[in-house]
Amino acid sequence: MKSRNLRNFCIIAHIDHGKSTLADRLLQLTSTVSEREMQAQMLDSMDLEREKGVTIKASAVHMTYRAKDGQEYELNLIDTPGHVDFGYEVSRALQACEGALLVVDASQGVQAQTLANLYLAVDAGLEIIPVINKIDLPAARPVEVTQEIVDLMGVDAEQVITISAKSGINVEAVLEAVVKYIPAPTQDVEKPLRALVFDSHYDSYKGVIAYVRVVDGILNDADEVFALATETRFRPVEIGNFQPQMVAGKRLQAGDVGYVATGLKTVRECRVGDTLTLFSAKAETPLPGYQPAKPMVFAGIYPVENEDYPTLKESLEKLQLNDASLVYEPETSQALNFGFRCGFLGLFHMEIIQERLEREYDLDIIATAPSVEYEVEKTNGETIWIDTPADLPDESTINEIREPWMRIQIFTPQEFYGTVMDLVTKKRGQFVSQEYPAPGRVLLNYDLPLAELIIDFYDQLKSRTKGYASLDYHFHSYRTEKLVRLNVLINNAPLDALTMIVHKDHAFHKGQALVSKLKELIPRQMFEVPIQAAAGGRIISRANVSAIRKDVLSKCYGGDISRKKKLLEKQKKGKKRMKMVGRVEIPQSAFMAVLKLGDEQ
Amino acid sequence: MAYSLYLHIPFCTVRCAYCDFNTYAGLEALIQPYTDALCQEISLVAKSVGGTLPVHTIFLGGGTPSLLSPEQHGQILTCLAQHFQITQQCEITFEANPGTVSLAQLQALKVLGYNRISFGVQSAQPHELKLLDRLHSFEQVLSAVEWARKAGFANLNLDLIYGLPHQALETWENTLFQVLPLGAEHLSLYALSLEYGTPMRAWVEQGKLPSPDPDLAALMYETASARMSDAGYAQYEISNWAKADPALGDGETPALACLHNLQYWRNEAWLGLGAGAHGSAGGYRYSVTRSPKGYIERVMQGTPQPFPFSPAVVESEALDVATAMADTMLLGLRLTREGVSKARFAERFSVEYTQVFSQELRELTNLGLIEQLPERARLVPPAYLLANEAFRRFV
Repeated sequence: MKSRNLRNFCIIAHIDHGKSTLADRLLQLTSTVSEREMQAQMLDSMDLEREKGVTIKASAVHMTYRAKDGQEYELNLIDTPGHVDFGYEVSRALQACEGALLVVDASQGVQAQTLANLYLAVDAGLEIIPVINKIDLPAARPVEVTQEIVDLMGVDAEQVITISAKSGINVEAVLEAVVKYIPAPTQDVEKPLRALVFDSHYDSYKGVIAYVRVVDGILNDADEVFALATETRFRPVEIGNFQPQMVAGKRLQAGDVGYVATGLKTVRECRVGDTLTLFSAKAETPLPGYQPAKPMVFAGIYPVENEDYPTLKESLEKLQLNDASLVYEPETSQALNFGFRCGFLGLFHMEIIQERLEREYDLDIIATAPSVEYEVEKTNGETIWIDTPADLPDESTINEIREPWMRIQIFTPQEFYGTVMDLVTKKRGQFVSQEYPAPGRVLLNYDLPLAELIIDFYDQLKSRTKGYASLDYHFHSYRTEKLVRLNVLINNAPLDALTMIVHKDHAFHKGQALVSKLKELIPRQMFEVPIQAAAGGRIISRANVSAIRKDVLSKCYGGDISRKKKLLEKQKKGKKRMKMVGRVEIPQSAFMAVLKLGDEQ
Repeated sequence: MAYSLYLHIPFCTVRCAYCDFNTYAGLEALIQPYTDALCQEISLVAKSVGGTLPVHTIFLGGGTPSLLSPEQHGQILTCLAQHFQITQQCEITFEANPGTVSLAQLQALKVLGYNRISFGVQSAQPHELKLLDRLHSFEQVLSAVEWARKAGFANLNLDLIYGLPHQALETWENTLFQVLPLGAEHLSLYALSLEYGTPMRAWVEQGKLPSPDPDLAALMYETASARMSDAGYAQYEISNWAKADPALGDGETPALACLHNLQYWRNEAWLGLGAGAHGSAGGYRYSVTRSPKGYIERVMQGTPQPFPFSPAVVESEALDVATAMADTMLLGLRLTREGVSKARFAERFSVEYTQVFSQELRELTNLGLIEQLPERARLVPPAYLLANEAFRRFV
């Protein structure tokens, strides 16, 4: 069989460098989407994505392009998630391609995720086409950024394509380069079917839609399919490709990118990274690299009103249909009653889930401060995993506690070297190495406990470096540390939802900072409310929220009544949004207080 | 049952930094047309009654009613007398700025029928008066009170404000020390409240002024309360005191209490007239358009409306029984001695408040905020400063 003019590629970039805008422009240039249908950031279909300006779910679009050589090419553009929380999905998407467009912002230049993604793409053996975007911005410095890329990749300056995706400048050159430099995929249709699932979403009519790259063999629409990792067997509802909406077809063969509508009920049954093959003629070995999604960050999610518990449960079930990396299980807190312990890929993922619960399901929820998963070896030899700090057993029964450490990369202008170093040290980080991939800037490698990374690290990094530093991180290892449990008592009763696990040397300081923050956040009540922090069986910090002295409308006459009543109604509503714990009204913000301890700590 | 009348005079020489009332500086040219319009509104509303309403209190508030000439006051009072049945004992009050009155003027107003003046004194401290943008001095207050007595006014109220930025407890005590010997029949003590849209709130938000300390304000309130009691005043509302006078037959509420304001707190009917005035009558709560110019136009061109509305009424809501009952509780609890009268409530609504609000009253009693006596429910003294906790149960 004659091999087709086929190109599979993706776009990789640091967040906000214009990946989605470039994708939009390519869809327009290839007439995949008419002008009328064009809406900004076509590929980002969730409202939240468009609002946050990041791509959460990858997507794949089939385009046809008549190149200047007169030939027609089929192009598959695979859009990759732009946030480091979704690093695994990025690596799967890269596996589905032969080439990548590396997009760099003309004013910001190379950033941490540019580097991280570039290294991933090089590892995946992709042909890389460097593109500088946003050259029409006043702050653009294309010459310097070109030099950064030349230094980084060892390419010639002429190979760097400079464009403005937003105004459409020079975008055609990108398509020409795709056709010219990215190799066609191998198209071995004789081998048994192997198709890589690099993404999925849930469709209420067609079940789980698996996004696939066929590596070997042929899939016909009537074939029965088998997923090698999850060992699920199914007959597809339909197969086809995205243009960008789903268009059904008869077959997908080696080299193709498309979708398989599986009819399966949850994304768990057909996971990203899995290999699809034919049930009747199974491939012997799966494609490499499958990892089950592993949550790294955990938090309790509780309804403000106890009676919303069933709604919360239903909403999480629905979200999970579409999000294989969200895990949850029921949890009971003394203070917050019934809720769920949820596991997320990272902080950003957690934020998205919270927002979707509040916005799409209209729930008032309380999220507790995020935690990580600790490995605890007890004196009786038993090893347990703790993702809820309040579950940490008594100190005397613990042999040692191990916590997850990350390898992080911070890419920053050199002038901020000192302040970045200071921040990392305060957060218990350890220096690993440094590189100078671009003039005037330094790439710093550190090891840092994940627990420190998820608490206020990124915000502080941004503020200390005036927004210039960028960050990338990956799990490194579990390490034994001297960790203790920090309890918080409100009105003399422990509030389990505020319990933290902290390093022994930081316990005193953190306890004090947390107590003063809580004092700020908990409004004065009709009686005095003591707030205490305790570690190792001792009270290490204490503050009192003094009783409210004055809460009265001084003036209320005829003309005031309606307005004063509105004011009272507003206060009443505000109080209703607070969580009643014992006799104390606690605002939602207090449960996240630990995230706002700021620089003082 | 007798009505009360509130008439709004929306003119001031300057706008005070803390004030968010409906009043305007620099519109003096509108005063005469406004007076004409007010009389027109009075006649339109009175005619819509289809009879003559008895009126037992009249209150001219502002703004600065003392900016109107005696002739203009005469025009208004004559018009009122033509259209309403003013009772023999009717309390007729006007608000005055101590800096804008003269003996002759006060004498003229007394002759017209006014029998009570409410002076906006605010403070005895020059720097505090300046901070509040008040144009008068404390010396002028002394003269104003003296002239009022000379003119024959036997019922005076003085307004004071505490809890000001930079104000110390001692300064507040000093103000009381200077004001109490004036022997006014009535005193209103208000904690400063930073209202939306006022310059003072903006100054505090911008950090140009320190935010008033609510705990210090609480202490000032308690201190004042003790001083007032020592000086022979009886508290009858959260922010109001009247001279105790057993000879006048003080009941739960002293005889020298402001009868007009009692009408509000007892949730009884009053008509609101003039730009920005609010009224509550005939099963409605309503408000009149705020702009003086718009008011004049609407009233002069308008046609009679069904009672209690005038052509200048722009907002109204029908009061259902549940709201009226809750309002009666909320407002009545402001009356520190009288509270919500069980008999009045039962007579008006044909049901006991103990039935309608059993849960609320039980909770408030358990929290130690109110006491339930056989004939009334009222706040207990330690709860005067925490009364919102009680009020919120009735909204």
